[in-house]
Amino acid sequence: MIVCILLPRFQLTVAATGAGAARDALLQRPVALAPEPGGSQVVGEVSLAAEAFGVHPGMRLGEALARCPRLTLLPGDPAGVSDSWERLLVRLESIGAAVEPERPGLVCFDVRGLLRLHGGIEGVLAAARRALRTPARFGVAPSRFAAVAAASQARTRRPVIVGDQTMPARDGRARIADGRARIADGRARIAEGRARIADGRARARAFLAPLPVALLRARPALADLPEALERLGIRTLGELASLPPTAIADRFGAAGLHAFELANGGDGALRPRGASEVVRESLELPEAASGVQLERGLGLLIDRVLARRERRGRTLRSVVLSAVLVEHGGTWREQVAFREALADPVRMRLALVSRLQLMPAPAEELRLAVERFGPPASDQRALLEDPADARSARLREAIRQTRAAAGSEAALRVLTVDPESRFPERRAMLAPFEG
Amino acid sequence: MTGPRRLSIPRRVAVKAADAGVPELVDGREVDTVRESWLVEDRWWTDRPLRRRYWEVVTTCGRDEVVFHDLESGRWWRQR
Repeated sequence: MIVCILLPRFQLTVAATGAGAARDALLQRPVALAPEPGGSQVVGEVSLAAEAFGVHPGMRLGEALARCPRLTLLPGDPAGVSDSWERLLVRLESIGAAVEPERPGLVCFDVRGLLRLHGGIEGVLAAARRALRTPARFGVAPSRFAAVAAASQARTRRPVIVGDQTMPARDGRARIADGRARIADGRARIAEGRARIADGRARARAFLAPLPVALLRARPALADLPEALERLGIRTLGELASLPPTAIADRFGAAGLHAFELANGGDGALRPRGASEVVRESLELPEAASGVQLERGLGLLIDRVLARRERRGRTLRSVVLSAVLVEHGGTWREQVAFREALADPVRMRLALVSRLQLMPAPAEELRLAVERFGPPASDQRALLEDPADARSARLREAIRQTRAAAGSEAALRVLTVDPESRFPERRAMLAPFEG
Repeated sequence: MTGPRRLSIPRRVAVKAADAGVPELVDGREVDTVRESWLVEDRWWTDRPLRRRYWEVVTTCGRDEVVFHDLESGRWWRQR
């Protein structure tokens, strides 16, 4: 059984929290997330009041303002959303859930292995609710797609559970006898397992049957399919599931077969994320920074991330560069995956500096976080030892010993940040010395 | 390192100035000569604009000091 947790309007709520005004009062008004700078001119998540005016996510900005002239546009807060979402995922993982986040505000996990720990599905849901500490909708179903559909039908205090497989309580002797019988006949167990899977699919199919095909839009690969299906008069998932698969494959190809599988209660297996480590550095820029000053700040952040003890000599596979923009302009976030895992600050800087130019406004704060580590950096010896390398190695060892004796601030270097600034305090900073 | 550390951070200084704003006493030391004075303004488009009148002065004991008058807060600072 798959549990889906849905936090409606998660990105809008985070943006409203960061906007400074009273969040609840703001969300009661017609509010929408403003288009991303440099992106297509469509609104993001919208409040209930905005939906009442016919505004929905993905609508063109001009049409949204025409439908609701009082619509308030909030700048997005992608960095804040990422941070808040990561906190919630870690809380869920703390109850033992192997989570697969689909997007901010929607996460699934398999309850197998948690049922006995928390005392059944209700216990798992109660533990998840306590861990989240924020109102959320819960859906439980045999497949992920059905669980997402169930969560969208649920209310905050009333989870929707499709086909509860809770086993009835039995006394000890009956369980022993049952176990012996199972050991004696392995085939019966296999048959029972298959029957359970088929039973789960049947229950999921029955639950999904009256629901609209528009639910398929939750899968990016199937986003265009509901419109074509509705044009052909196929309005519910039950009608889709009753069609012959050959006809669907003939008309819609692989996407159609995928939708057919989902409507019949099937879905792919969950792919839970690996355990994450948070290695993050931030730099406050008291004066709005851009251009050369920002590049210097980025160099400082790279040095500080590489100097972190938690790195343990590993390379960096991908990082997230984010910034808080000036004048309540929201935040900016860019994920960068290196072509190969790096531990060289010069190459990292070359890869990251070009991303700074995508920033839509000057920054008040710059952040660099490690998203994924690579293998440890190999330090192979050359056939002929280079004197410069030998000197560099001696210098690194000297710095290491100095830091071990006198603390992490024993070896620093002056980093020129903005040498042309008219304010002396902006020109240079102290950074960890990397030999 | 717990955080970035800036260099040349301004430090408070006691300055007695004449009516025209020219420093006469810096930390109790009498000013002998004003070598240079300049005005710096920035961030005027924000809620926290920066407006500073810098003075490079030489005191009677021979010290060369750079002080500035924060025109927003009215305080005096020393900076190198």
